[in-house]
Amino acid sequence: MKMTFTGAFAAALMLSAAQPSLAVERGGTLVYGRYADSLFLDPVLNDANVDIWVLSNLYDTLLLPTDDGQGVQPGLATKWAVSADGKTVTLQLRPGAKFSNGRAITPDDVVWSLERAANPKEGIWNFLISSIDKVVADGADGVKIMLKHPDPAILQALTVFNTAVMPKAEFEAEPGTTDEAKAREFAKAPIGSGPFVLKDWVHGQSMTLVRNPYYWAEGSDGKPLPYLDSVVFKVVPDDATRILQLQSGGLDGAEFIPYARVQELKKMSGINMELYPSTRVEFVTLNVRDEVNGKPNPLANPEVRQALNYATNKQAIIQIVTHGVGSPMSSFMSSATPLHAGKGELFPYDLAKAKALMAKAGYAKGFSVPLLVLAGNQDELSIGTLLQQMWGQVGVKLELQQVDNATRTDAYRKGAFSMRLSAWTDDIADPSEITSYFAYSPTIQALHSGWKNDTVDKLFVESQSQTDAAKRKEEYAKIQEIFNATGPTVPLYQTPYPVALRKDVHGFVQIPLGNNIFRAAWVSKKASN
Amino acid sequence: MHLLLYVLRRIIQLIPTLLFIALVVFLLVHLLPGDPASAMLGDRALTADVNRINHDLGLDRPLPVQFLLFLRNLAHGDLGRSIQLHESVLSLIAQRLPVTMLLTAMSALIAVALALPLAFLAALRRDREADILIRGTFQVGLSMPVFYIGLLLLTFFGAYLRWFPVGGYGDTFAGHLYHLFLPALTLALSLSAVLMRNLRQAILQVIGAEYVDFARAKGLPARLVLFRHVLRNALISTVTLFGLQIGTLLGGAVVTETVFAIPGAGRLMIESIYGRDYPVVQGTTLCLAVVVSLTFLLTDLAQVALDPRLSR
Repeated sequence: MKMTFTGAFAAALMLSAAQPSLAVERGGTLVYGRYADSLFLDPVLNDANVDIWVLSNLYDTLLLPTDDGQGVQPGLATKWAVSADGKTVTLQLRPGAKFSNGRAITPDDVVWSLERAANPKEGIWNFLISSIDKVVADGADGVKIMLKHPDPAILQALTVFNTAVMPKAEFEAEPGTTDEAKAREFAKAPIGSGPFVLKDWVHGQSMTLVRNPYYWAEGSDGKPLPYLDSVVFKVVPDDATRILQLQSGGLDGAEFIPYARVQELKKMSGINMELYPSTRVEFVTLNVRDEVNGKPNPLANPEVRQALNYATNKQAIIQIVTHGVGSPMSSFMSSATPLHAGKGELFPYDLAKAKALMAKAGYAKGFSVPLLVLAGNQDELSIGTLLQQMWGQVGVKLELQQVDNATRTDAYRKGAFSMRLSAWTDDIADPSEITSYFAYSPTIQALHSGWKNDTVDKLFVESQSQTDAAKRKEEYAKIQEIFNATGPTVPLYQTPYPVALRKDVHGFVQIPLGNNIFRAAWVSKKASN
Repeated sequence: MHLLLYVLRRIIQLIPTLLFIALVVFLLVHLLPGDPASAMLGDRALTADVNRINHDLGLDRPLPVQFLLFLRNLAHGDLGRSIQLHESVLSLIAQRLPVTMLLTAMSALIAVALALPLAFLAALRRDREADILIRGTFQVGLSMPVFYIGLLLLTFFGAYLRWFPVGGYGDTFAGHLYHLFLPALTLALSLSAVLMRNLRQAILQVIGAEYVDFARAKGLPARLVLFRHVLRNALISTVTLFGLQIGTLLGGAVVTETVFAIPGAGRLMIESIYGRDYPVVQGTTLCLAVVVSLTFLLTDLAQVALDPRLSR
């Protein structure tokens, strides 16, 4: 067996490394302003970031993502090993780990949770662990995961929210005849083993989490985490109001600070304007089918797509739309995504080259094309207006069509769009998820663009069961090289997560996958306002 | 007895109106591009997942069948379950509608409290400094968008002076009133401007009427003339306008609830439209339609009280 043991010592080391050097203060409440409320706190059946990004505070997974979002660290499992053939994962459960109701976590709970998560009829995240064939208990304190094929991303998958360990008996005791009905009841007062427990939830207004007295991890002071007594999520949809509440002391932290306000908040005393590295990328998706809605489609021509890429002044967009907060992309995936490959800005602005490519493609006089923009979204509207001006230089008349999200998604899924603005954030610390959606055609025809490259499809399939890390890296480098050169997108920029915290808040982190981690957060009582 | 029959007739008239609204809303939400599953699952949705969820929700059935089912459930007082929030629509409305109603009622009260005395003052001091100042100030209030007034009030009275909370709803009834004051004032400013202008104009018209001159000539005290003869007659058109404006006020509550982070029915409706949460959109629209219709009924009753000839 190829063993990858990580002991409690390493765990303690990682945790303490994540701590600030200040002496922590225990107790108190942290009030965090969110732009929208959660919808459904079931790890398997949820489908939105508003749930995903807070689930890890309530439910624990076997492994945890590291704060840089690139690796894994111990969670409910303290040791793990992948067999030499890559088809069996053995995990040892943390001794004494309990659910928030005080009951010990058993291998049966883990088996049931993972099988529920892997069930193709349950939710939409099962594809992340589609390699799982069977999960069995391995003695009194371990589990064995048997895979259909070697899965190089299986350890990363065991950090993802949908693989959270839930209490089988308590879940099944809920009223209802279907899994969904039970999940609905269970999610009202979830029992997990994360650092916090849901105490109170007034939909659309606030959610109160209190510390889980049975949480296993230790803080830098040698006592159990979390440091805080409670975390309150307040729903404040309006950006300006969220910032006002932060300034007036009603909030200790606020997410999704508009880029236009970042510089202002950086200069404000009493506020720490944090820009957490993220996997978020912003881009234009181009439909590359020969015909769109029954009309010939100039975007089917790779030279036209390249011309649009060269005609896009990304630096200008970054300055105007993100106020300098964003940075140019060197691949379709963010630089925070593992196995990202690419040096330097993709398609640096070159108007002469763009014009030459348009002429070569037979479109010297340009053409008209519609771009779907999210109505009411200032960033998208600004990007659209800038692209209108920039692409006008090569004769492309861009018609901005403002629609709501559901309308846009509908046109997108049907392939009945010419261009749309899009954003993406990874859910797993592995390049497979983004690549399957962007480049591997069988998933969603490469962002519903109709783009297909046989080499990319073949490389992706190989990479999905590639156990040789160096070879997998090469495969991903090649996929990115092909997609970046000929793919159906115009990459615009990558951005961090802008979060503003009061100066007395410490230890909070939003990892590149978006998860808000409060387990080591604390508030100093001697506020330095 | 006459009045009771009038009220009964009006309530019976409400039923076909509401059925018509139910049909229109049903058709509108179902004809919007997109569906709940796509809206929920977003851009990454796989076709198989979208179809599975839409099938589970019964959305793959023919529209007339879905509408009949909706009507059947409605007749049993069941508005269905929210697709996004996994809760019964009735209980969601029971949580959210009172918030919006309280906000609207407070706005209406503040608007009347502002408009009545100022309209009088402006009319009695016609074209003098007080009149010009009042009309000018309200003109500014009327021409500014609601969300902008809201942000100004929040910044000044909330964040700067700290007299009022910066958004939110509070936990107790007193807390609700305290939290809702600024948003209610925001909504009230534009309404009171409309009411004030209308009432001022009406007072000016009535004040020059022959019966007012006659009342004065009769030697009635000025105050009595003003309240019994001028105000009562001037109010008739303003009450009509006020009733009509309640619908606008509810519309304004949608924006105000977002700016002030208030968990009301307006925000619920907007979020449900974006999420194509058909049962919630239908349920909230119907309930708001009932509220607006009842307001119209109350308005008509108020008019009858002011001018009994109208009930005939």
